[in-house]
Amino acid sequence: MKNNDLAGNVVEAQDLTKTFGDDIAVQSLNMQVPRGTIFGFVGPSGCGKTTTVRLLTGIYKPTSGSLSVLGKNPTDFSKLDREKIGYLIQQFVLYPDLTVWENLNFAASFYGVGVFRWGRLNKLLNFVELAGDKNKLARDLSGGMKRRLSLAATLVHNPELLFLDEPTAGIDPILRRKFWDYFKELQAEGHTLFITTQYVGEAAFCDLVGVMYGGRLLMIETPDGLRRKAYGGDVIGIRTNEEIRSEHRQQLEGLPFVRGKAKIISDQEVEVTVDDASTAVTMLLEWSKAQNLTVEMMEQKSPPFDDVFVRIIEKEIAND
Amino acid sequence: MIRFFKFLIRISSFLGKELTEIFRQPKLILTLVLGPFLLMFLFGLANPGQGRILRTTFVVTDPNSFKKEIDSFTRSFSSSLVNYVIESDKEEALVKLANNQTDMVIVVPDVPLETIQNNQQAEFLIYHNEIDPIQIGYINSVASVYVDEINRQFLQSVVELEQGDSASLQTNLATAITKMQTLRQAIPMSDVNTATQAADLERDLTDLHEKLTTFRTLASGILVKPFSAKISGLSNDQLTVIGFFAPAVIALLLQHFSITFASLSIVRETRSGIMELFKVAPITAFETLVGKYVSYLFFEIILSGLITYLAVWLLKIPILGQLQQYALAVVVLLFTSLGVGFLISLISETDTQAVQYSMLLLLASIFFSGFFLDLRLMKEPITFLAWSLPATYGIRMLQDIMLRGSPGPQLVFLGILIMGMVLFLIDWLLLRRKMESQYS
Repeated sequence: MKNNDLAGNVVEAQDLTKTFGDDIAVQSLNMQVPRGTIFGFVGPSGCGKTTTVRLLTGIYKPTSGSLSVLGKNPTDFSKLDREKIGYLIQQFVLYPDLTVWENLNFAASFYGVGVFRWGRLNKLLNFVELAGDKNKLARDLSGGMKRRLSLAATLVHNPELLFLDEPTAGIDPILRRKFWDYFKELQAEGHTLFITTQYVGEAAFCDLVGVMYGGRLLMIETPDGLRRKAYGGDVIGIRTNEEIRSEHRQQLEGLPFVRGKAKIISDQEVEVTVDDASTAVTMLLEWSKAQNLTVEMMEQKSPPFDDVFVRIIEKEIAND
Repeated sequence: MIRFFKFLIRISSFLGKELTEIFRQPKLILTLVLGPFLLMFLFGLANPGQGRILRTTFVVTDPNSFKKEIDSFTRSFSSSLVNYVIESDKEEALVKLANNQTDMVIVVPDVPLETIQNNQQAEFLIYHNEIDPIQIGYINSVASVYVDEINRQFLQSVVELEQGDSASLQTNLATAITKMQTLRQAIPMSDVNTATQAADLERDLTDLHEKLTTFRTLASGILVKPFSAKISGLSNDQLTVIGFFAPAVIALLLQHFSITFASLSIVRETRSGIMELFKVAPITAFETLVGKYVSYLFFEIILSGLITYLAVWLLKIPILGQLQQYALAVVVLLFTSLGVGFLISLISETDTQAVQYSMLLLLASIFFSGFFLDLRLMKEPITFLAWSLPATYGIRMLQDIMLRGSPGPQLVFLGILIMGMVLFLIDWLLLRRKMESQYS
């Protein structure tokens, strides 16, 4: 887990637990979210992501453990503290009988944004690309447009810390990518984003990723760190002009910087896990030359996060 | 200052939102404004303005013997009230009653005079086929008036007969007085005792003669019914049925609109999930509630103004009291009704439940607010229920201001005001619990 200066963390949780009767929704969660990062909270549906967000926003009171968000316990938030927070709920909760503009104006009012706010609202509508639809009733918007309107409403008071609960759920891949572009822009403006998602592939866009499973936070890592944790190191793919025979593979697996078994892709291609790809490539090229194998391709592989996630969960189940 | 300014901005969020949602439904507004008038107009058309005409069948064994009395009765009572036929077969008349061909069957006693002379009451048997208690009461009243009228006519006949008979008696009495005078004059002066007795007797006879004269000169109608009543109201007693019901209809509708709007308001937000956003946002339960009160009050005050204007202009309903008093009463009624509506909204789990509660409250208001049944006729425990409905206060206040020209008892105004304030407090506490506390 990445350690940060306490002053630089917007969220700090220590042994945070939430139970509902006998059901443990969140168990002994420890995490720190550094200011200015995009923190991805990844996990399957029902794993406790939304419960965690509700704990962080002060909707739920923790059963045990300590929690600090922006330096305060969320259940003791003042109005001023709440003005620093933006919260995007999973489902569309704005008013279907109001237009895009009216909904945004309503959100601005209840966050107490001053009356001369038209400039900001227009800027937000441009940001989420709804400027041309501001007179449309919310009920006539597509699912993606509704999500964008919700995002604009979350940003209307320019919050310091954003909690976005599955902002990309149920929308097409192109729009999902666009959302992540928005999030990157927001990060560049200085916002901290805490984003939950069940699309594990989206972990790649985050600075830090927390993997949640069965109410437990399994790890917090950078996306690369997550892969390394899943595979026990970096994965390098090797393709040669000659056949890679079993004795070659045994030798490969015996090299001191190689971890575990070599994965056979084809007669001429294998994948190996190494401690550090940057140093291992040179040594592998030397080894190939010594074995009279002509290397056609050698590169560091980035396994899809779906695979990474499955590996992490499988490991977790095996450990249990 | 900035905090207060932000407070105003947060309140305004609901003002804009609620009004926009309402004004986006022009059909709803049209229904709200014109609906009450259409109802009142139809109610006016439906009301005949007099008692129900009862198709009556008299069963008389010998039609000729009572024809005169029946004719006389129906004339003096009201020809429009009893539209009668005479039958001689009681069973046939009862079959007609069962088949809804007649509304009332009156069986006239066979030999009434003989029965009375035998020192017994002659009994009229009256049959009806009603199930509605109000209609049964109406028939009882008509029957009672009918028997009273028969009794009066009978007494009048007896009196007229006796007045006729007393003419010869009076002549005889005059002769007796003259003879008595002659006799008294013939008594010797020394017999003072006999002379005094004769004078006393003469005076008694003269007295009797004078009383008989009075009896004979008095009209038989006055003798059998010496007293009558003349009724005058202190208030406007020229009101039509619509005129009387208009303030009650206005009060009931204003209560119903307020409750319906408010009862759906918070429950919808709870169901939609936006309440979760309110919990995280810097808006308090107090700001939310004040915002909602202000927005609905604003809209409903305009609506009440329109309804009142149309009631005065189209239906010619008077407002005898001061307009400020009327406006104040309406605002307090709306405020309290909104409180009831928000309470429903806060305790309801679904829209359907909220609508059900609102409809139940409307029904309760129709029955117990004094809309139909006068509160003074209700039994004690039920009046508590009546006075727990805003419409009860509203009807009383609007009737007093519009039809009597007085603001009415201050206690009524204070009662609804206190009720409204208590409801606001309860709503605020419930909403605070909903918004500011954790799910668990």
